[in-house]
Amino acid sequence: MSQINRLPTGACTDSSTIINFTFNGKQLQGVAGDTLASALLANGVNVVGRSFKYSRPRGIVGHGAEEPNAIMQIGSGAATVPNLKATQVELYEGLEAASVNGWPSVNFDLMSITGWFGRLMPPGFYYKTFMYPAKLWMTYEHFIRKAAGLGSAPVQEDPDSYDKLNQHCDLLVVGAGPAGLVAAREAARAGARVIIADEQSEFGGSLLASTQRIEGQAATAWVAELVAGLNAFSNVQTLPRSTVFGYYDHNFLGILERRTDHLGISAKLGVRQRLHRVRAKQVILATGAFERPLVFAHNDIPGVMQASSVSTYVNRYGVAPGNRLVLFTTNDNAYQTAIDWHRAGRTLVAVIDSRGAPEGELVTAAKKLGIDVMAGCGVIEAQGGKRVKRALVARLNHDGSQIVGAVQKLDCDLIACSGGWSPAIHLSSHTGAKPVWDEQIVGFKPGESTQQERSVGACGGTYALSACLAEAVLAGAEAAKLAGCGDGNAHFPVSEVEEYQEQPQQALFLVPHTKSTSRAPSQFVDMQLDVSASGIELAVREGFESVEHIKRYTAMGFGTDQGKLGNINGMAILANALGQSIPETGTTIFRPSYTPTTFGAIAGRDIGALFDPERYTPVHRWHEEQGAEFEDVGQWKRSWYFPRSGESMDDAVNRECLAVRNSLGILDASTLGKIDIQGPDAAEFVTRMYSNSYLKLAPGKCRYGVMLKEDGMIFDDGVCACLADNHYLMFTTTGGAAGVLAWLELWQQTEWPDLKVYFTSVTDHWSTATISGPNARKALAKVCDDIDLSSDGFQFMDWRDGTVAGVKARVFRISFTGELSYEVNVPAQYGRPIWEALMAAGEEFDITPYGTESMHVLRAEKGFIIVGQDTDGSMTPADMNMDWVVGKNKSFSFVGKRSLERSDSVRENRKQLVGLKTIEGAQVLTEGAQVVFDAQQKIPMSMQGHVTSSYFSSNLGHSIALAVVKGGHSRMGQVVYCPMADGRIIAAEIVDSVFYDAKGERQHV
Amino acid sequence: MLLIHCPHCGEGREEEEFSYSGEAHIVRPLAPQDLNDREWGDYLFFRKNPRGIHHEMWYHAVGCRRYFYATRDTLSYEILETYIVGEKPQVTSAGSGQ
Amino acid sequence: MSSKAENINSESPLKYFHKLSNHQRHSDSAEIFNGDVEFALVIKEAPICAHLNLRGDGADKSFTDGIAKVLGIALPTEPGTYQSCQQHSLFWLGPDEWLLVSQGNAAEIEVSLRQVLAGHIAIVDISGGQTMINLRGTDMAVQTVLKKSSVYDFAGWPGASGNAGRCAQTTFAKASAVVSNKSDGSFDLIIRRSFADYIARWLLDAGEEFGCRIEG
Repeated sequence: MSQINRLPTGACTDSSTIINFTFNGKQLQGVAGDTLASALLANGVNVVGRSFKYSRPRGIVGHGAEEPNAIMQIGSGAATVPNLKATQVELYEGLEAASVNGWPSVNFDLMSITGWFGRLMPPGFYYKTFMYPAKLWMTYEHFIRKAAGLGSAPVQEDPDSYDKLNQHCDLLVVGAGPAGLVAAREAARAGARVIIADEQSEFGGSLLASTQRIEGQAATAWVAELVAGLNAFSNVQTLPRSTVFGYYDHNFLGILERRTDHLGISAKLGVRQRLHRVRAKQVILATGAFERPLVFAHNDIPGVMQASSVSTYVNRYGVAPGNRLVLFTTNDNAYQTAIDWHRAGRTLVAVIDSRGAPEGELVTAAKKLGIDVMAGCGVIEAQGGKRVKRALVARLNHDGSQIVGAVQKLDCDLIACSGGWSPAIHLSSHTGAKPVWDEQIVGFKPGESTQQERSVGACGGTYALSACLAEAVLAGAEAAKLAGCGDGNAHFPVSEVEEYQEQPQQALFLVPHTKSTSRAPSQFVDMQLDVSASGIELAVREGFESVEHIKRYTAMGFGTDQGKLGNINGMAILANALGQSIPETGTTIFRPSYTPTTFGAIAGRDIGALFDPERYTPVHRWHEEQGAEFEDVGQWKRSWYFPRSGESMDDAVNRECLAVRNSLGILDASTLGKIDIQGPDAAEFVTRMYSNSYLKLAPGKCRYGVMLKEDGMIFDDGVCACLADNHYLMFTTTGGAAGVLAWLELWQQTEWPDLKVYFTSVTDHWSTATISGPNARKALAKVCDDIDLSSDGFQFMDWRDGTVAGVKARVFRISFTGELSYEVNVPAQYGRPIWEALMAAGEEFDITPYGTESMHVLRAEKGFIIVGQDTDGSMTPADMNMDWVVGKNKSFSFVGKRSLERSDSVRENRKQLVGLKTIEGAQVLTEGAQVVFDAQQKIPMSMQGHVTSSYFSSNLGHSIALAVVKGGHSRMGQVVYCPMADGRIIAAEIVDSVFYDAKGERQHV
Repeated sequence: MLLIHCPHCGEGREEEEFSYSGEAHIVRPLAPQDLNDREWGDYLFFRKNPRGIHHEMWYHAVGCRRYFYATRDTLSYEILETYIVGEKPQVTSAGSGQ
Repeated sequence: MSSKAENINSESPLKYFHKLSNHQRHSDSAEIFNGDVEFALVIKEAPICAHLNLRGDGADKSFTDGIAKVLGIALPTEPGTYQSCQQHSLFWLGPDEWLLVSQGNAAEIEVSLRQVLAGHIAIVDISGGQTMINLRGTDMAVQTVLKKSSVYDFAGWPGASGNAGRCAQTTFAKASAVVSNKSDGSFDLIIRRSFADYIARWLLDAGEEFGCRIEG
């Protein structure tokens, strides 16, 4: 097929550069500057897709974001992109496009032939048909999706790269049509930091397709000059191919910039799309307007288009999308299309004007060209199959509500429609501004907003170019001033424009038919989702009144075009059916995104290795070199276990655990949170935060403490050391560090500002190597000769400053394994060397590095809890059998104390921490398993608790578990049952939570 | 995505830097032990959740690490003022300053 | 005994970060820095130095005087600013909090400060927990990487002059940093040690379009 509809010239195309592409497998050609839509029209392609419900053939209607029909799958394989509008896809060499709707092909559609499917889908179809039984919904959905064909997402990993920029500016101008360009220039001159974004490949907006002359030059030349001027400002960022898709709180807007899509789909071109997250002091919305379609019978046949789109294809792209045009209008403005068509040298059958006596300047100009105008008439029906063959035209009464004359047939292959214009108020809507109906422009204008924004030009309801420019110059200067730049006075004169005076348009939302709406051939309101005028009326008859309900019931505006064309007509038809005015009926509110936004761009670079920070300890690389497996603990990578060749995880953990109990192990404990606390009231403050007292803790001593929230529930635990009078080092859990610091600051800053104390995180400053086991003292003595390591000289729960392997260190004699342990802390820059020195010192004791898994087993053998694993935010110290950690006689009421006396905190059947010993020692319970008292009980069983920790203990030779069980402390010796997911029921005995060395002698040696 | 003026840093900063810390100006009972369970429960669990003017506490977590107060309209999300701990709000639901 | 190991060397956070460059430059990047056609962005980790967190009352003259006396520079009391000299840099972190980065010895500085400062103050050595990374290159490359990395408006700062400039504690990728500008147009990032590998990976990735390398 050749480009049968290609005209000699287009303002923005270069017909000497041929571009090859395929559409549904067919080889076609376009030219440089084409969109996929203009190239398809140039090739005379009529049917570009099939409709959602009725599977009717559909053609291209519009030329931009409003396009409801030409929805394409672009590219193939991993880089395929579904649901792009052909009107927004720039043509490139080798582009592969396919219709997303229509099976087996758009020209031969099985669904259409059987025809039953659409009739099964009246408004509210989903609700009526597919709601019950609910469990079948997945089946229904699968069927609907296959039939409707909403495009297919790639199954392979996305090969493209996306990123995000955080931008700040004084003024963001949305839309680079005449109003936006002029406003941006004015603000830029005032010194404002300006970003101007436009979704099209070129700046200029409506002027790119205009034949108007500005300041004596062609509109495109005037635009080019303006854009060059803007680019010369260093304080202006111009973003073409950039859609402002959302307007969020406090003037925060999202822009999707398509950087390489127009070059073809390839992974190696750099960033495909960039998301700009813009915080703007001021915003100017210059988003223009959408032409409103006219609703008449079978207005969806390919060949029915928007009048402005026909002009755009003719003027901008050099494509005449047909041969014989019938233009149907309610306003003067669309006469320009007639003039453009006439100039293109194609046949203009007639202009059908619904108004009785159109006599504006453009009308006159058209008539002078010999164009036939049929006033007071309407196109009541289009006829044809895969292309319009004729228009049925009839005389209408004065308000267009009734047919008053005979129907005549006009042969044509193109019907261009204009029902006036609807301001693109989408972004204004995002701010929460309620649209306001304006009788003058027969449309909704942006409402008042709390954001720092203003709408200028067509999106504010100002349509005449000269008025747009005058408004924009002022808006630019004013917005700049409000952002702190310039004096608010316009500097540039308003450009002189050659312009026709227009007469008022007529409001016409539904063109009558000789049959009633319910019996007439479908009059489509929303093409993409096949919502018709009769469907809306039916919804009203079924009792729906609210516009928001009708929208959901009929699915009007739910497509990827979000009802940009159809919504106003739909609401007006609804208002009419309800017998009320349009303002009374109101409008649905547009929400982000304005057009679909790629997930890849939203993710940006936060993927793969950069998805979340990986925090490393100073010894991390050593663990890697030793082949450690790692476990994520918050953002930290902690060594989990150190498998030797051929070892399973269980093997490694068993070996590590035995080594600690029998000789010596070493653990990287650097991830524990550490907070330095100093100030005259430090002791008092620390005592208020922990459940036990620190007032009498002497320098050189440590104490274990539990921190409660005000509701009495455990939220963190750890050791706190007194470094000097009123100077403490608080250890927190690895995951709790930031939360604890914020908690301390909260109480000091807001509740007790009179307490003089400062907190500083030193988590990253210290590297901690814990050596644990009977040989720990001997090993440490080899590298430390300035600390008295004797049992009496350096007791359990003491700390000492000293020198370890030549580096100043702070050594804590605390233990999480129950063995003799020293935690050697050195500034992190010495972390790895000291670790290696300790490894060397421990060599003769077969020192064994162990990871978090062994640490968990060893502490569980001792019944030591892990906050967040054995507790879940609903556990008191008493629940954990840790009454000993609560200082009941503390002079000051510590945080959480009062709540420990609440009736709920002291009730008897609270879940309490106990040990569980499986009757068959080799069986290991699953963490999270429920505990029941009666294994025979029918489902649903009474759940009496759950397993919080469970391991196999190589030291004990059987499994061990910790669990919280209702009233558990008074159930020692009872047998309980844990039903497993695989159907087994494991019996276990409730025992004390301390399994090993109950007297705690080993850590005191 | 809010833009929050930190009264300590003296400039508007992005919401990502802050964490929300609940209702402001809740008076902690001086003698919790003297309260019955109901009174203590009211202090612990009940919050205003108003439609409109709300005084709330924010923490400049990834900034100066200071807590401060903000008066925010929960309908429009507009932040009408921010002020430091110890100060009283100028904007209240009664419409005038305190 | 301990004397055997006295030649232990300190290790900076990025010592083991191996990937040194990323220069899949984008075709649309025309940025050239210092005549280097391959890399328009250079990342460099500063040698290990002293980092001390200072707390005190900036309105207390004895506090500000004491710091000025010991360090030879004024305490920056204006939010979001820093002061520096050959030896020291003092960054405003909060209304009663500053960060001192110094070429000197942390313990010695702490002792001399404690000698002159009285009352409710805190000095905490955090040298091991932080590192400083310098980001230099063309304005376009540096600013773009900062925009990719942080929500803060660094482009809105006036340039640094001589020994003073602006600083901000803010988000950096999904971590945080104290970012400051320097009079040579480059930026310093002070980051936490445990995040250093992540941030270095992030910076190399963010700078890729301009060509980006890490200077050893």
